[in-house]
Amino acid sequence: MLESHVIQAKGFTNVGGDAPNGFQVAVRCPYYRGIWASLIEGVELTVDGETFAAETIRWTLGSSSCATPQLAERDELRWAFEEPAVLTVERPGGLEPGLHELEFAVTWRWSYIPVEMQPTTNISTRTLVLVR
Amino acid sequence: MSGSSEISLGVSLYSYGGDFLVTMSLEDCLADVADMGATDIEILADTHVAGYPSPSSEWVDRWLTLVDGAGLRPTCYSSWLDTRLHRDRALSLDEAVAILRRDLELAHRLGFSIVRPKLGVVSLDLIPDPIWRDTVERVLPDAAELGIAIAPEIHSPTPLRSRIVDDYVDLVRETGTEHFGLLIDTGIFQTEERKGGHGDSVYVFGDPEPELRERVAREMSKPLAVDPADLVDLMPYVVHVHAKFWDMTDDLTDPHIPYDGIVRALVEGGFTGSVSSEYEGPRELYRASDVLRRQQLMLRRMLDAA
Repeated sequence: MLESHVIQAKGFTNVGGDAPNGFQVAVRCPYYRGIWASLIEGVELTVDGETFAAETIRWTLGSSSCATPQLAERDELRWAFEEPAVLTVERPGGLEPGLHELEFAVTWRWSYIPVEMQPTTNISTRTLVLVR
Repeated sequence: MSGSSEISLGVSLYSYGGDFLVTMSLEDCLADVADMGATDIEILADTHVAGYPSPSSEWVDRWLTLVDGAGLRPTCYSSWLDTRLHRDRALSLDEAVAILRRDLELAHRLGFSIVRPKLGVVSLDLIPDPIWRDTVERVLPDAAELGIAIAPEIHSPTPLRSRIVDDYVDLVRETGTEHFGLLIDTGIFQTEERKGGHGDSVYVFGDPEPELRERVAREMSKPLAVDPADLVDLMPYVVHVHAKFWDMTDDLTDPHIPYDGIVRALVEGGFTGSVSSEYEGPRELYRASDVLRRQQLMLRRMLDAA
Protein backbone atom coordinates (compact mmCIF):
# COMPACT_ATOMS: atom_id res chain seq x y z
CA MET A 1 0.00 0.00 0.00
CA LEU A 2 1.00 3.65 -0.48
CA GLU A 3 1.05 6.71 1.73
CA SER A 4 -1.36 9.41 0.61
CA HIS A 5 1.41 11.99 0.18
CA VAL A 6 3.63 12.03 -2.94
CA ILE A 7 6.75 12.05 -0.73
CA GLN A 8 6.75 8.80 1.23
CA ALA A 9 7.97 8.62 4.84
CA LYS A 10 9.00 5.01 4.31
CA GLY A 11 12.28 4.81 2.40
CA PHE A 12 13.84 8.11 3.54
CA THR A 13 17.29 6.96 4.58
CA ASN A 14 21.02 7.54 4.22
CA VAL A 15 22.97 5.20 1.94
CA GLY A 16 26.56 3.99 2.17
CA GLY A 17 26.42 2.32 5.58
CA ASP A 18 28.66 3.68 8.36
CA ALA A 19 30.19 6.27 6.02
CA PRO A 20 27.12 7.64 4.22
CA ASN A 21 27.70 9.17 0.79
CA GLY A 22 24.12 10.13 0.01
CA PHE A 23 20.47 9.50 0.78
CA GLN A 24 17.32 8.01 -0.71
CA VAL A 25 13.71 9.09 -0.76
CA ALA A 26 10.70 7.31 -2.28
CA VAL A 27 8.14 9.33 -4.24
CA ARG A 28 4.87 8.03 -5.66
CA CYS A 29 3.76 9.29 -9.06
CA PRO A 30 1.52 12.35 -8.60
CA TYR A 31 -0.11 11.71 -11.99
CA TYR A 32 -3.06 9.40 -11.32
CA ARG A 33 -2.22 7.01 -14.16
CA GLY A 34 1.49 6.56 -13.53
CA ILE A 35 3.74 7.72 -16.36
CA TRP A 36 6.11 6.56 -19.06
CA ALA A 37 9.68 7.55 -18.10
CA SER A 38 10.22 9.23 -21.50
CA LEU A 39 7.44 11.73 -20.69
CA ILE A 40 9.40 13.09 -17.71
CA GLU A 41 11.10 16.39 -18.58
CA GLY A 42 12.75 17.25 -15.31
CA VAL A 43 12.93 16.92 -11.56
CA GLU A 44 14.11 19.11 -8.72
CA LEU A 45 14.64 17.99 -5.16
CA THR A 46 15.31 20.40 -2.31
CA VAL A 47 16.21 19.37 1.23
CA ASP A 48 16.39 22.10 3.90
CA GLY A 49 16.97 24.68 1.15
CA GLU A 50 19.74 22.74 -0.60
CA THR A 51 18.71 21.97 -4.18
CA PHE A 52 19.94 18.84 -5.94
CA ALA A 53 20.08 19.15 -9.72
CA ALA A 54 18.30 16.63 -11.95
CA GLU A 55 21.62 15.27 -13.24
CA THR A 56 22.65 14.23 -9.72
CA ILE A 57 19.45 12.27 -9.04
CA ARG A 58 19.32 8.56 -9.85
CA TRP A 59 15.89 6.97 -10.37
CA THR A 60 15.09 3.39 -9.50
CA LEU A 61 11.86 2.35 -11.24
CA GLY A 62 11.01 -1.27 -10.54
CA SER A 63 14.16 -3.23 -11.37
CA SER A 64 15.62 -0.47 -13.61
CA SER A 65 17.88 2.35 -12.55
CA CYS A 66 19.09 5.44 -14.43
CA ALA A 67 19.98 9.11 -13.99
CA THR A 68 17.34 11.74 -14.76
CA PRO A 69 18.68 12.72 -18.24
CA GLN A 70 18.44 9.08 -19.40
CA LEU A 71 14.71 8.88 -18.57
CA ALA A 72 13.95 10.64 -21.87
CA GLU A 73 15.22 7.59 -23.81
CA ARG A 74 13.18 5.04 -21.82
CA ASP A 75 9.83 4.91 -23.66
CA GLU A 76 9.20 1.37 -22.39
CA LEU A 77 9.90 2.08 -18.70
CA ARG A 78 7.11 3.11 -16.34
CA TRP A 79 6.95 5.09 -13.14
CA ALA A 80 4.07 2.87 -12.11
CA PHE A 81 1.20 4.22 -10.06
CA GLU A 82 1.53 1.35 -7.61
CA GLU A 83 5.29 1.53 -7.09
CA PRO A 84 7.05 4.66 -5.78
CA ALA A 85 10.27 5.69 -7.52
CA VAL A 86 13.33 5.55 -5.29
CA LEU A 87 15.51 8.63 -5.79
CA THR A 88 19.15 8.25 -4.82
CA VAL A 89 21.13 11.45 -4.31
CA GLU A 90 24.88 11.76 -3.76
CA ARG A 91 25.78 13.90 -0.78
CA PRO A 92 29.04 13.29 1.13
CA GLY A 93 28.15 12.41 4.71
CA GLY A 94 24.47 11.91 3.89
CA LEU A 95 21.91 13.83 5.96
CA GLU A 96 21.84 14.33 9.74
CA PRO A 97 19.30 12.16 11.54
CA GLY A 98 16.30 14.31 12.44
CA LEU A 99 13.59 16.37 10.75
CA HIS A 100 14.08 17.59 7.17
CA GLU A 101 12.00 19.83 4.90
CA LEU A 102 11.68 18.23 1.46
CA GLU A 103 10.35 19.76 -1.74
CA PHE A 104 9.95 17.57 -4.81
CA ALA A 105 9.01 19.07 -8.19
CA VAL A 106 8.54 16.86 -11.24
CA THR A 107 7.76 18.03 -14.76
CA TRP A 108 6.29 15.96 -17.59
CA ARG A 109 4.48 16.21 -20.93
CA TRP A 110 0.78 15.47 -21.08
CA SER A 111 -0.38 14.42 -24.57
CA TYR A 112 -4.03 15.45 -24.22
CA ILE A 113 -3.46 18.97 -22.87
CA PRO A 114 -2.87 21.74 -25.47
CA VAL A 115 0.84 22.22 -26.07
CA GLU A 116 0.51 25.89 -25.05
CA MET A 117 -0.23 24.66 -21.50
CA GLN A 118 2.64 22.20 -21.33
CA PRO A 119 4.72 20.85 -19.75
CA THR A 120 3.06 20.16 -16.40
CA THR A 121 4.85 20.57 -13.08
CA ASN A 122 3.68 19.04 -9.82
CA ILE A 123 5.21 20.32 -6.59
CA SER A 124 5.01 18.53 -3.24
CA THR A 125 6.46 19.49 0.13
CA ARG A 126 6.67 17.42 3.30
CA THR A 127 8.59 17.34 6.56
CA LEU A 128 10.11 13.90 7.06
CA VAL A 129 12.08 12.17 9.77
CA LEU A 130 15.39 10.59 8.84
CA VAL A 131 16.26 7.97 11.44
CA ARG A 132 19.53 6.72 10.04
CA MET B 1 -30.51 -3.21 -15.02
CA SER B 2 -32.94 -0.79 -13.40
CA GLY B 3 -36.53 0.03 -14.36
CA SER B 4 -37.76 -1.03 -17.76
CA SER B 5 -34.77 0.30 -19.70
CA GLU B 6 -31.83 -1.84 -20.72
CA ILE B 7 -29.32 0.56 -19.21
CA SER B 8 -27.02 -0.93 -16.59
CA LEU B 9 -25.06 0.89 -13.90
CA GLY B 10 -21.36 0.69 -13.22
CA VAL B 11 -18.51 2.45 -11.48
CA SER B 12 -15.16 3.62 -12.82
CA LEU B 13 -12.36 2.87 -10.38
CA TYR B 14 -11.00 6.35 -11.25
CA SER B 15 -13.58 7.48 -8.67
CA TYR B 16 -11.45 6.04 -5.85
CA GLY B 17 -8.50 8.28 -6.81
CA GLY B 18 -7.45 9.24 -3.28
CA ASP B 19 -8.25 5.91 -1.67
CA PHE B 20 -6.89 3.42 -4.22
CA LEU B 21 -3.87 1.63 -2.72
CA VAL B 22 -3.97 4.02 0.28
CA THR B 23 -7.07 3.00 2.23
CA MET B 24 -8.45 0.45 -0.29
CA SER B 25 -6.88 -2.39 -2.26
CA LEU B 26 -8.15 -3.38 -5.71
CA GLU B 27 -10.17 -6.13 -4.01
CA ASP B 28 -11.68 -3.60 -1.56
CA CYS B 29 -12.72 -1.31 -4.45
CA LEU B 30 -14.38 -4.14 -6.38
CA ALA B 31 -16.21 -5.32 -3.24
CA ASP B 32 -17.39 -1.75 -2.59
CA VAL B 33 -18.76 -1.41 -6.13
CA ALA B 34 -20.63 -4.72 -5.84
CA ASP B 35 -21.92 -3.75 -2.38
CA MET B 36 -23.60 -0.61 -3.72
CA GLY B 37 -25.50 -2.69 -6.27
CA ALA B 38 -23.64 -1.67 -9.42
CA THR B 39 -23.15 -4.48 -11.92
CA ASP B 40 -20.43 -3.06 -14.19
CA ILE B 41 -16.80 -2.16 -13.61
CA GLU B 42 -14.52 0.24 -15.51
CA ILE B 43 -10.79 0.70 -14.98
CA LEU B 44 -7.94 2.93 -16.04
CA ALA B 45 -5.54 0.38 -17.48
CA ASP B 46 -2.41 2.36 -16.60
CA THR B 47 -3.52 2.89 -13.00
CA HIS B 48 -5.33 -0.25 -11.99
CA VAL B 49 -3.44 -3.01 -13.81
CA ALA B 50 -0.36 -3.72 -11.70
CA GLY B 51 2.63 -4.06 -14.00
CA TYR B 52 0.81 -2.41 -16.93
CA PRO B 53 1.18 -2.97 -19.85
CA SER B 54 2.58 -6.43 -19.10
CA PRO B 55 0.86 -7.76 -15.98
CA SER B 56 1.91 -11.18 -14.74
CA SER B 57 -0.36 -14.10 -15.61
CA GLU B 58 -0.96 -14.43 -11.85
CA TRP B 59 -2.30 -10.87 -11.76
CA VAL B 60 -4.58 -11.52 -14.75
CA ASP B 61 -5.93 -14.72 -13.15
CA ARG B 62 -6.53 -12.91 -9.86
CA TRP B 63 -8.35 -10.06 -11.65
CA LEU B 64 -10.66 -12.53 -13.41
CA THR B 65 -11.31 -14.33 -10.11
CA LEU B 66 -12.03 -11.07 -8.28
CA VAL B 67 -14.51 -9.64 -10.81
CA ASP B 68 -16.22 -13.01 -11.10
CA GLY B 69 -16.39 -13.38 -7.32
CA ALA B 70 -17.86 -9.89 -6.95
CA GLY B 71 -20.38 -10.60 -9.71
CA LEU B 72 -19.13 -7.67 -11.78
CA ARG B 73 -19.03 -7.29 -15.58
CA PRO B 74 -15.99 -5.49 -17.02
CA THR B 75 -17.16 -2.77 -19.42
CA CYS B 76 -14.67 -0.06 -20.35
CA TYR B 77 -10.88 -0.25 -20.26
CA SER B 78 -9.59 3.31 -20.42
CA SER B 79 -6.16 3.76 -21.96
CA TRP B 80 -4.00 6.52 -23.43
CA LEU B 81 -2.43 7.10 -26.81
CA ASP B 82 0.60 9.19 -25.86
CA THR B 83 1.34 11.05 -29.07
CA ARG B 84 4.02 13.06 -27.22
CA LEU B 85 5.78 9.96 -25.87
CA HIS B 86 9.08 11.20 -27.29
CA ARG B 87 10.53 14.63 -26.59
CA ASP B 88 12.15 15.13 -29.99
CA ARG B 89 9.75 13.50 -32.45
CA ALA B 90 6.13 12.66 -33.08
CA LEU B 91 4.76 9.18 -32.46
CA SER B 92 4.81 7.21 -35.73
CA LEU B 93 1.73 5.49 -37.12
CA ASP B 94 3.33 2.08 -36.57
CA GLU B 95 4.01 2.96 -32.93
CA ALA B 96 0.47 4.24 -32.41
CA VAL B 97 -0.97 1.07 -33.96
CA ALA B 98 1.22 -1.11 -31.73
CA ILE B 99 0.10 0.77 -28.59
CA LEU B 100 -3.61 0.59 -29.41
CA ARG B 101 -3.35 -3.07 -30.45
CA ARG B 102 -1.52 -3.89 -27.20
CA ASP B 103 -4.32 -2.26 -25.20
CA LEU B 104 -7.05 -4.08 -27.15
CA GLU B 105 -5.37 -7.41 -26.48
CA LEU B 106 -4.91 -6.75 -22.76
CA ALA B 107 -8.49 -5.43 -22.46
CA HIS B 108 -9.72 -8.65 -24.07
CA ARG B 109 -7.68 -10.82 -21.69
CA LEU B 110 -9.24 -8.95 -18.76
CA GLY B 111 -12.78 -9.40 -20.07
CA PHE B 112 -13.51 -5.86 -21.30
CA SER B 113 -15.63 -5.04 -24.36
CA ILE B 114 -14.82 -1.33 -24.78
CA VAL B 115 -11.45 0.43 -25.03
CA ARG B 116 -11.23 4.19 -24.60
CA PRO B 117 -7.94 5.50 -25.97
CA LYS B 118 -7.38 9.05 -24.66
CA LEU B 119 -5.98 10.72 -27.77
CA GLY B 120 -3.25 13.36 -27.84
CA VAL B 121 -4.43 16.78 -29.02
CA VAL B 122 -3.03 19.34 -31.47
CA SER B 123 -5.00 22.52 -30.69
CA LEU B 124 -6.37 24.66 -27.87
CA ASP B 125 -9.87 23.37 -28.62
CA LEU B 126 -8.61 19.77 -28.27
CA ILE B 127 -8.72 18.60 -31.90
CA PRO B 128 -7.19 15.10 -31.68
CA ASP B 129 -3.88 14.34 -33.38
CA PRO B 130 -4.86 13.41 -36.98
CA ILE B 131 -2.93 10.15 -36.53
CA TRP B 132 -6.01 8.79 -34.73
CA ARG B 133 -7.94 8.00 -37.89
CA ASP B 134 -5.34 5.79 -39.62
CA THR B 135 -4.44 4.21 -36.27
CA VAL B 136 -8.03 3.20 -35.58
CA GLU B 137 -8.64 1.96 -39.12
CA ARG B 138 -5.58 -0.28 -38.95
CA VAL B 139 -6.68 -1.73 -35.62
CA LEU B 140 -10.36 -2.23 -36.52
CA PRO B 141 -9.82 -5.83 -37.76
CA ASP B 142 -8.30 -6.67 -34.35
CA ALA B 143 -11.22 -4.98 -32.60
CA ALA B 144 -13.66 -7.09 -34.63
CA GLU B 145 -11.78 -10.29 -33.89
CA LEU B 146 -11.62 -9.54 -30.15
CA GLY B 147 -15.20 -8.27 -29.91
CA ILE B 148 -14.18 -4.83 -28.70
CA ALA B 149 -15.51 -1.35 -29.49
CA ILE B 150 -12.95 1.47 -29.62
CA ALA B 151 -14.53 4.60 -28.16
CA PRO B 152 -12.84 8.00 -27.87
CA GLU B 153 -14.24 10.17 -25.12
CA ILE B 154 -16.34 13.27 -25.76
CA HIS B 155 -15.32 15.43 -22.82
CA SER B 156 -15.74 19.09 -21.90
CA PRO B 157 -14.92 21.52 -23.54
CA THR B 158 -15.96 19.52 -26.64
CA PRO B 159 -19.71 19.78 -27.37
CA LEU B 160 -21.71 17.11 -29.21
CA ARG B 161 -22.19 19.41 -32.20
CA SER B 162 -18.55 19.77 -33.16
CA ARG B 163 -16.06 18.88 -35.85
CA ILE B 164 -14.48 16.39 -33.46
CA VAL B 165 -17.70 14.39 -33.05
CA ASP B 166 -18.52 14.72 -36.77
CA ASP B 167 -15.12 13.23 -37.65
CA TYR B 168 -15.69 10.24 -35.35
CA VAL B 169 -19.16 9.64 -36.77
CA ASP B 170 -17.75 9.90 -40.31
CA LEU B 171 -15.42 6.99 -39.57
CA VAL B 172 -18.38 4.78 -38.65
CA ARG B 173 -20.41 5.89 -41.66
CA GLU B 174 -17.54 5.47 -44.11
CA THR B 175 -16.32 2.09 -42.86
CA GLY B 176 -19.61 0.65 -41.61
CA THR B 177 -17.75 -0.66 -38.57
CA GLU B 178 -19.57 -1.84 -35.46
CA HIS B 179 -16.35 -1.61 -33.46
CA PHE B 180 -16.00 2.14 -33.08
CA GLY B 181 -18.26 4.60 -31.28
CA LEU B 182 -18.51 7.46 -28.82
CA LEU B 183 -17.97 7.55 -25.08
CA ILE B 184 -19.97 10.46 -23.65
CA ASP B 185 -18.69 12.16 -20.50
CA THR B 186 -21.70 13.87 -18.90
CA GLY B 187 -19.51 16.78 -17.76
CA ILE B 188 -20.44 18.32 -21.13
CA PHE B 189 -24.01 18.81 -19.85
CA GLN B 190 -22.85 20.73 -16.75
CA THR B 191 -25.01 23.84 -16.14
CA GLU B 192 -23.87 25.06 -12.72
CA GLU B 193 -20.42 26.43 -11.90
CA ARG B 194 -18.47 24.60 -9.27
CA LYS B 195 -16.17 25.98 -6.64
CA GLY B 196 -12.64 24.75 -6.26
CA GLY B 197 -10.60 22.97 -8.85
CA HIS B 198 -10.00 19.50 -10.06
CA GLY B 199 -9.89 16.89 -7.33
CA ASP B 200 -6.44 15.59 -8.12
CA SER B 201 -3.07 17.01 -7.14
CA VAL B 202 -2.00 20.65 -7.63
CA TYR B 203 -0.43 21.28 -11.01
CA VAL B 204 1.26 24.11 -12.87
CA PHE B 205 0.38 23.87 -16.55
CA GLY B 206 3.19 25.22 -18.71
CA ASP B 207 4.33 28.82 -18.68
CA PRO B 208 1.86 30.54 -21.02
CA GLU B 209 1.14 34.25 -21.28
CA PRO B 210 -1.10 35.31 -18.39
CA GLU B 211 -3.84 36.26 -20.86
CA LEU B 212 -3.79 32.80 -22.44
CA ARG B 213 -3.65 31.08 -19.06
CA GLU B 214 -6.72 33.01 -17.93
CA ARG B 215 -8.61 32.32 -21.15
CA VAL B 216 -7.93 28.58 -21.01
CA ALA B 217 -8.80 28.41 -17.30
CA ARG B 218 -12.08 30.19 -18.07
CA GLU B 219 -12.84 27.86 -20.98
CA MET B 220 -12.06 24.76 -18.94
CA SER B 221 -14.14 25.71 -15.90
CA LYS B 222 -17.21 27.24 -17.50
CA PRO B 223 -20.22 24.95 -17.73
CA LEU B 224 -20.54 23.79 -21.33
CA ALA B 225 -24.29 23.26 -20.88
CA VAL B 226 -24.82 21.01 -23.90
CA ASP B 227 -28.54 20.22 -24.37
CA PRO B 228 -29.08 16.52 -23.51
CA ALA B 229 -31.56 16.40 -26.40
CA ASP B 230 -28.51 16.66 -28.72
CA LEU B 231 -27.77 13.06 -27.68
CA VAL B 232 -30.78 11.62 -29.45
CA ASP B 233 -29.44 11.89 -33.03
CA LEU B 234 -26.07 10.50 -31.92
CA MET B 235 -27.46 7.57 -29.92
CA PRO B 236 -26.68 4.93 -32.58
CA TYR B 237 -22.99 5.78 -32.10
CA VAL B 238 -22.90 5.97 -28.28
CA VAL B 239 -21.31 2.87 -26.75
CA HIS B 240 -20.62 4.01 -23.17
CA VAL B 241 -21.37 6.86 -20.74
CA HIS B 242 -19.27 8.36 -17.94
CA ALA B 243 -21.60 9.76 -15.28
CA LYS B 244 -19.24 12.53 -14.20
CA PHE B 245 -19.79 14.24 -10.85
CA TRP B 246 -17.97 16.39 -8.33
CA ASP B 247 -20.48 16.36 -5.48
CA MET B 248 -23.89 15.06 -4.37
CA THR B 249 -26.28 16.87 -2.04
CA ASP B 250 -27.96 15.35 1.03
CA ASP B 251 -31.24 15.19 -0.89
CA LEU B 252 -29.43 13.05 -3.48
CA THR B 253 -29.25 15.49 -6.35
CA ASP B 254 -26.25 16.56 -8.42
CA PRO B 255 -25.63 20.30 -7.86
CA HIS B 256 -23.86 20.80 -11.22
CA ILE B 257 -25.16 18.39 -13.86
CA PRO B 258 -28.85 18.02 -14.85
CA TYR B 259 -29.11 14.24 -14.65
CA ASP B 260 -32.90 14.03 -15.03
CA GLY B 261 -32.70 15.34 -18.61
CA ILE B 262 -29.66 13.20 -19.41
CA VAL B 263 -31.25 9.96 -18.17
CA ARG B 264 -34.46 10.82 -20.02
CA ALA B 265 -32.53 11.37 -23.27
CA LEU B 266 -30.62 8.09 -22.83
CA VAL B 267 -33.80 6.09 -22.17
CA GLU B 268 -35.86 7.76 -24.89
CA GLY B 269 -32.97 7.38 -27.32
CA GLY B 270 -32.89 3.65 -26.62
CA PHE B 271 -29.38 3.50 -25.12
CA THR B 272 -28.66 -0.08 -24.05
CA GLY B 273 -25.14 0.26 -22.66
CA SER B 274 -23.62 1.00 -19.29
CA VAL B 275 -23.58 4.26 -17.34
CA SER B 276 -20.38 4.38 -15.32
CA SER B 277 -20.13 6.61 -12.22
CA GLU B 278 -17.04 8.79 -12.47
CA TYR B 279 -16.42 10.83 -9.33
CA GLU B 280 -13.86 13.60 -9.82
CA GLY B 281 -14.41 15.78 -6.74
CA PRO B 282 -12.17 16.31 -3.72
CA ARG B 283 -9.87 13.37 -3.04
CA GLU B 284 -10.48 13.30 0.72
CA LEU B 285 -9.97 9.79 2.01
CA TYR B 286 -13.15 7.71 2.45
CA ARG B 287 -15.27 10.24 0.51
CA ALA B 288 -15.62 8.28 -2.76
CA SER B 289 -17.56 5.36 -1.25
CA ASP B 290 -20.18 7.70 0.16
CA VAL B 291 -20.72 9.97 -2.84
CA LEU B 292 -20.73 7.01 -5.25
CA ARG B 293 -23.63 5.46 -3.31
CA ARG B 294 -25.50 8.76 -3.46
CA GLN B 295 -25.11 9.01 -7.23
CA GLN B 296 -25.93 5.34 -7.81
CA LEU B 297 -29.18 5.75 -5.87
CA MET B 298 -30.06 8.92 -7.79
CA LEU B 299 -29.45 7.15 -11.12
CA ARG B 300 -31.46 4.09 -10.02
CA ARG B 301 -34.42 6.26 -9.08
CA MET B 302 -34.27 8.13 -12.39
CA LEU B 303 -34.05 4.91 -14.41
CA ASP B 304 -36.92 3.39 -12.44
CA ALA B 305 -39.05 6.48 -13.11
CA ALA B 306 -38.15 6.73 -16.81
